[in-house]
Amino acid sequence: MKKSFNVAAAIAAAGALILGVTAATTASAAVKEVTIAYQGPLTGDAAQTGIDELNAVKYAIKKYNATNPAVKVNLVAIDDQGAGAVALTVAPGAAANKKIIAIVGPAFSGATIASLPYYKAGRLPMISPSATNVTLTNPKSVNYGYPVFHRVPSTDAFQGPALAVWAVQNQKSPKVYIVDDKSPYGTGLAAFTKKGLAAGTWAGSDSTPDDTKDFSATIIKIKASGTNVVIYTGYYSQAAILIKQLRTAGYTGDYAAGDGVLSQSFIDNAGKDAEGALMVAPTIPLAVGNPEMEADYVKLMGEASGEYSGETITITNVFLEGIKAGKLTRSAMLNWINGYHGTTFAGTKLSFDRNGDNNGAAAIGGFIVKSGKNVAVKAVKW
Amino acid sequence: MFDILRTQFWSLTLSGIALGFIYVLISMGYTMVYGVLRMINFANSEIFMVGAFASLLVGRDVFHYTMDTIPPTGAKLALVLTCSLIASMLTSSLVAFLVELIAYRNLRNRTSNRIAPLITAIGMSIVISETVRIITKARAIFAPRILEKQTLFVFHGADIRLDSMITIFAGLILFIALERFIKLSRLGKGIRAVSMDEDSAKLMGVNLNRVISLTFIIGGLMTGAAGFFYVNVYENVKYNMGFSLGLAAFTAAVIGGIGNIRGAFFGGISLGLLEIYASAVVGTQWKPVTVFVVLILILLLKPNGLFGEAVQKTRV
Repeated sequence: MKKSFNVAAAIAAAGALILGVTAATTASAAVKEVTIAYQGPLTGDAAQTGIDELNAVKYAIKKYNATNPAVKVNLVAIDDQGAGAVALTVAPGAAANKKIIAIVGPAFSGATIASLPYYKAGRLPMISPSATNVTLTNPKSVNYGYPVFHRVPSTDAFQGPALAVWAVQNQKSPKVYIVDDKSPYGTGLAAFTKKGLAAGTWAGSDSTPDDTKDFSATIIKIKASGTNVVIYTGYYSQAAILIKQLRTAGYTGDYAAGDGVLSQSFIDNAGKDAEGALMVAPTIPLAVGNPEMEADYVKLMGEASGEYSGETITITNVFLEGIKAGKLTRSAMLNWINGYHGTTFAGTKLSFDRNGDNNGAAAIGGFIVKSGKNVAVKAVKW
Repeated sequence: MFDILRTQFWSLTLSGIALGFIYVLISMGYTMVYGVLRMINFANSEIFMVGAFASLLVGRDVFHYTMDTIPPTGAKLALVLTCSLIASMLTSSLVAFLVELIAYRNLRNRTSNRIAPLITAIGMSIVISETVRIITKARAIFAPRILEKQTLFVFHGADIRLDSMITIFAGLILFIALERFIKLSRLGKGIRAVSMDEDSAKLMGVNLNRVISLTFIIGGLMTGAAGFFYVNVYENVKYNMGFSLGLAAFTAAVIGGIGNIRGAFFGGISLGLLEIYASAVVGTQWKPVTVFVVLILILLLKPNGLFGEAVQKTRV
């Protein structure tokens, strides 16, 4: 029943979204305008990721609109809460809104999988800064996003083995326990991480739903197995609950996670228990990849950039360059993306293969929580 | 597969009992209302949620504890915990009282249709949870640590923790107090009278509205206490936290025999243990399957729950 209510609210929101964009466009018919959308979690547990990415889109559009008066670019924000169930209710509205010619996002794999049928039917091109599930670009998968889905980051097929290596760096005789959150992202990354572990180091696995409150059974199994490295593949809100309960239960080993946990919110929520946590992500901070752009970002937006900001700016710029080149419809934009050859915010080459993956996929970065901050350490080799 | 159950039996059992006591207290809210009105108060899960929020807010905003502050000790600890518990219980009981007043009383007085109150109960549940969702932007809020989770002693390899012990003993005291109140007090007798035969109770001079309001308030007090213990043990709250915990507590009430206070008690403990054992033995992903298969089997064998109508004396 609650879900039905959520669905109704989301449909109403989607309708408002369509009407709002239409009204805004009609009111200023004299100026040529196009709309791109950002889709990701703007409320909910994972909202920080979405807010960071949305701000990065705003930054890129702000810069573009300031110097390109011929075609004004509007932005529509679509909140899917990072959840497939919510994405199912907002994606139809975005797909039906013909004013939207491209989407930056969705941010999360599960929400992308849920949205794809609508965007494929509407031929709405999309490039994600952070959806890493391998099935999205696998032609044999039902989740295959061709022809509309593209992404900048490396997939979990790279992130998993990198996580397996990064997580055990402090242990001479690692014993690794993997906990996933049952989401498409979490289970996929867990499988690739397990594959990447050295023989004899896997101590066990558990799959805990993403609304788990009590991890005590999992923690008892972890402690009984003699584990000294716990890897969590899920998102930061649950990751904070797990590490707090682990430390309370006396677990003193290492705690590691993938990009779903790479957020200041994880540290804020877990407090001192987050200290020393090891993370990998197919991203590098904007301040590391392009310090000049970071300085400009701070000047224009009034705050430092967040996770995946660099990738998000890169993607928005792909669309903006297309708009500048006169690609003002979905099909024209799709052709533009497929033929695109450019560079990322960090200066690496960017183009997309037939399946939508980045030909010059970025390296996997290794991070550690130090003094209450995520610190990028180095690129992880595996 | 069962090796973990053998080697970690006491750790698992203690965790199951601590979780079970939270279910017990929430299920009291369901069972009290059902016992009197034969109605499932679906808003009870949200009554629990607002109680948990109240408990968190007292520690965070009244006493200004943060994630980085050192937990209080001694008299200060007792003060913060007492204020949090009182705030949690009072907030939940107030919401429960208002829910009854706004959503159920008029319906009860104007129709004997049993579906209408069920729908308004679901409606109240959604109104409360969606309001909190909007206010909190659907984010989980983490509570500062008030009670240091120190290990008191080790029993057969199981850490006996202060927070778990407080939950278990305080839960037990609240359960016994409620049962005694229902059994021995004048108001409790009124509740039991309405529970057994509403019309006869009215003829005997029992003020029906007063008794029903009291039932909601008492159920709210118990559910609010559950919110307090939940925050102390798990240290986070979220607008939809009541859904899964409320469903579990409702299941506990059904396992024990809904409408029966002792049934809710044993149902809650049984469910807590069952969940923890199932998670340990077959994996957490199989927990809901295992729990509900067992629930179905229990109901097939004992359709009125484990205690059903057998404990008339303690039935609400």
